[in-house]
This record gives sequence, C-alpha cells and structure tokens, in this order.
Amino acid sequence: MSAISRRGFHAAAATSLLTGCSSKQPQGPPPFSRRSTVAVLKAASYDDDLTPIILAGLSHAGLPDVKGKRVLLKPNLVEFDHATAINTSPRVVVAAFEAFRSLGAHVTIGEGPGHRRDTFGLTEEAGYWRQFHALDEHFVDLNRDDVKSIGPFLGRPEFFFSETLLAADLIVSLPKMKTHHWAGATLSMKNFFGLVPGSIYGWPKNLLHYNGIANSIAALNRQFRNTFAIVDGITGMEGNGPIQGQPKHMGALVFGRDIVAVDATCCRMMGIDPAKIDYLQLAADLGAISASQIDQRGENPASLRQEFGLIEQFKHLRLA
Amino acid sequence: MPGTFRAQRVDALIASQNADGGWGYFAGKRSWLEPTAYGLLALYDQMNSPHWKRGWDLVRSWQLPDGSWRPNGQVSESHWSTALAVTLHCARKQFDAPFRRGVEWLLEQRGEESTTLARFLGIFMENHIGHDRKFAGWPWLPGTTSWIEPTSHALVALKRSAPEFGGSELRRRVTLAEGMILRRRCSDGGWNYGSRAALGIDLPSYPETTALALLGLQSCPEADLSKDLIRARELWQQCEARLGRAWLAVSLRNFGVDLPEDDKPIYRNDILATALEALSAPNGGHSLLRPGSLV
Repeated sequence: MSAISRRGFHAAAATSLLTGCSSKQPQGPPPFSRRSTVAVLKAASYDDDLTPIILAGLSHAGLPDVKGKRVLLKPNLVEFDHATAINTSPRVVVAAFEAFRSLGAHVTIGEGPGHRRDTFGLTEEAGYWRQFHALDEHFVDLNRDDVKSIGPFLGRPEFFFSETLLAADLIVSLPKMKTHHWAGATLSMKNFFGLVPGSIYGWPKNLLHYNGIANSIAALNRQFRNTFAIVDGITGMEGNGPIQGQPKHMGALVFGRDIVAVDATCCRMMGIDPAKIDYLQLAADLGAISASQIDQRGENPASLRQEFGLIEQFKHLRLA
Repeated sequence: MPGTFRAQRVDALIASQNADGGWGYFAGKRSWLEPTAYGLLALYDQMNSPHWKRGWDLVRSWQLPDGSWRPNGQVSESHWSTALAVTLHCARKQFDAPFRRGVEWLLEQRGEESTTLARFLGIFMENHIGHDRKFAGWPWLPGTTSWIEPTSHALVALKRSAPEFGGSELRRRVTLAEGMILRRRCSDGGWNYGSRAALGIDLPSYPETTALALLGLQSCPEADLSKDLIRARELWQQCEARLGRAWLAVSLRNFGVDLPEDDKPIYRNDILATALEALSAPNGGHSLLRPGSLV
C-alpha cells in the first residue's frame, strides 16, 4: 500500500469506526501515465450467442496468451430477486468459460458472495446450474476455500485468501454494470470484494467496510494485478444498487486488461463522472481514468451512453 | 423412513472426517473450526467414539493463549467461531479451564462501535446507520463492528455457559446483545446482516440471519418473537438454499415449531450444510443450542 493510500486508509478507518462505511474524500496517487485499451461490444440480449462476442472482445482488448494458464472467472453474485438484475448473468459466465476454454486455458469459476453465506444456494437461485450443468466440477466457493497468507494487507499483519485464487495466472473480473449506494458504481474493481474469504473476515465482508470501501477496493486492486475485466452491461442496474435498484438495459459488454480503464469507461457509459468515484481516484496510478488515455475499440462508448438513475446522495456524480 | 435423513448425514460426516479429526467446509478440504464444531454437535450421540474424540482433540488444540480459538490450522488470529467452541464445550459438559478462558475472552469482546471512545465520538457525529451504540454486540473479528451472526453465536454460547459460569457481567452482556438484535430487526419481521435499513430504505430479512438471531434470542424475557417466528416459517417454506433452510429448521425446532422432516439428498459435499441438516432433524441434537438458565 502506498503512503498516500495508507493515509487515506487510516482516515477512512477512523470515520468508519463510527459510521460503518467510509465517506472520506480521498486524495489520489500520481496518475497513470501510459495508455490503455478498452473494447466495447454490442450484445443486445442474453439470448444472443455470446461466446463469439466475448472472443472478439478479448481479442480487441489485447488478452495475453492464456493457453495452458489457470484462469479464474470471478462473477458478481450478491443476492437473487426475479424482479431485478443483481448478479452477473449466468449466460455471460458460461460464454466466458467457453471462450477461455477455447483459447486453451484451465478455467475455474470462483466467487465469495458478500451478502449471502450459502454460495451454492445463490448460484442455484441465480440460474447458474440451469445454464451450466458441470458447474460442480469448475466452481470454487471463495468464502470457504482453503486459504493461504499473503503477509500484511489492509492493516493486518497477515491476510488470507483462497488458495485457488492465489494459484490463478489470470483473474477475470466479470461484474454487472450497477450503481452502488455506498461506492457510487460497482464494476470490475469493486467486484474484488468477493475475493475476501467470509469464513475468516465475515459477512457482508465486514472488514472491508470497516477499513473504508474505497480504500479496500483500491488495496485489493493494488494487490491483484494479473487481471482482466469483462463487464456484463447487457442489462445493468440503476438507482439504489447493488441490490434494490431497477434493471437498465444497456446492450453492451466491456473488455480490458486495465480494469481501472474499464471501470472509468463503464462510468461514462452510465453517465457517471469517473473523476468523482473515490476508489478510482485512489487507484489512479494503476490504470487510465482519463478518456484521452484510453484507446477505445469496438463501439464508441459515448454513443451508447445512458443516464443510469442515481440516488439523491450520488446526484453529484453525474457526468456533465 | 423416519430417521433416515439424519442417519444419511451422520454417515456422510463420519466418512468425510479428515485425518486430523476435523472437517473442511467441503469434503476433502482442510479442517476449519466452524464445520468441525457443527460436525461434532451433529454427532452428539457418539461423544465416546474414537472419531468424536479425534475431532474434539483438534478443537482443543486450536485454543489460543488469550482464550480465543483460531478458525483453522493456518490462521492464528482470534476469531468469531470461538463462540462455537464454547458451545461445544457446553454440549460435552466440559466446564474446565479452557472453557472458562473461552467465555472470558467472549466477554472481553464487543463491536468497535460500542467502545467507550466510539460512543463518546458518536455524540459529535451524524449516526446515519441509526444503531444505538450502547447495545453492544460481537464482531466477526476483534476490533471491528458488530453484526447479527457473530452476536447470535456469542449469545447462544453465553446462554449455554450461564449455569456453569454465572456472573453479572455475563448477564449484562446477554441483555445488551439481545437489545442490539431486537433493535436491528427488519420491518418484515426477520433479520438482515446488521442493519434494518440502508439510506432510509428497508432491508429484507435473510434466512440464515433470521434463524441465527432467533437462536440468540431464545429465552429473552422482553422479546415478543411471534411475528419473527411467522417470518422464519415463511422463509423456511420459501427457501431453496440448503444452508439457510437448515439453520431455520434448527432454530424453529428449538422454538417448538413442528416441521415436516425433509427428504432431500445430501448437498454437494457441503459439510456445514450436511451437519446443520443432521442437527435440524427431529432427533438431531438441535436442542444443544438451547440456552441454560441465566439465573
């Protein structure tokens, strides 16, 4: 953790001592100075054949060679409600699984839901087993996997993560494009909350809230750098996300190796100013936030922009 | 056939016990305290067997010098599952020094929002979560805020310990924690993880947290739990998720609610779900989570 983010970390921890969540306005590190590539591809419906779209997105976004590599797909599974769009669609996960398999990768799907202890129950309710009958052979509950220490992290002298996660050559964040009632938006970076094992640190990933949501998101993304993102923006969520919002059809998938740039692009597509998202600012040295540093492939994100509804507390995030 | 449901799970648990005597969250994985404690509770009628003794010895070996328990053989930090180890001591009626140190450690812990400093600072800050900080619960890990689940586990452990341990501090903490849980009850009659609402919008109750909160509130003299028990029964009827459903069955049976015996197959090598389902059977030992007398 950098000195700057450590200061932010302690300040937010003091605030969250009393509030349970951080509202600290962070000071970011020096910005990322290189260029990144983000691909935005149209996908009108979950009924489309998504595997070729995902293969095209991986290629456009410069996926490195994954032949023989261990790839962990990390969807976002939070809660299930038939009336809304909370979780990464199982069709996107299955298509990503097929795409990476076709590229010669050894693919595992792993998730450690933040809100529900019963990960398998959640995968059933969210329709994962209906879409993927062999899920048993390829799914790992990151909340309850065997663990290994990575040493100091998040202010603790030792921190533990799933051994499956730590063995992965590439972690593919597969989030839903959603608003979030504490963080503003939840995308590829926030999705890493699900990497933290609840069996040690509790539900709903208590320790991360206690240390400040933005600080924890930045710290996790600083820790895990072997990443790629595929954002499920076919149907996202607006309003009081990540659970109680309303579905919002966007009809797109967003791809990139630089997941900061992916999240910044998604924010713009949602009508949210990425410069006002705390965790992006705290991770500004990890990837490109400015549109001028991002080489867009596929669709022009500006042409797909839709104003995602924002709750009153986050109206100020609206992109001009 | 009556009794088959539990017998299948007991057999599965014995077959999946690790060589060190414990159980992992999934068959074939390394041992953790939580599935080991529930596994041993589910095998409550085999306490004199060699396999029970091996599990018990493992649990005893995981106590840390401060009286708390570690969650597994790799992590050497104090952990919320200390409450489960204390409850297991009560089930075994082993009220020796390790048991007493475990209870003492629990009594030293509280959610960070309820420390004297936090309560003082809270006077000057907006309390947008809306929790009354004087009602102290328990955190998942020392030094963090309290939540329904670890508070409920601690309540079960302390209420089971009360006849042997006694003391005004234990009674005081039980009363405060019951107050904490009751004040965080959702509008639908059950419990979410830690709050009844977020940003002014009501949160829904969840099966597992509702079940555990009710277990923690057993024999609470001030609580009218009739609405919550109705909600818990509704959740049990609606819930397909096996872990939540098993916890609900354990809880409802301890409140005397008559439930039909399940006939579902064993669930995906999930040891915790298997152990809880065994406990939830009519003859399954769920009463081991009933409180002793606080007098």
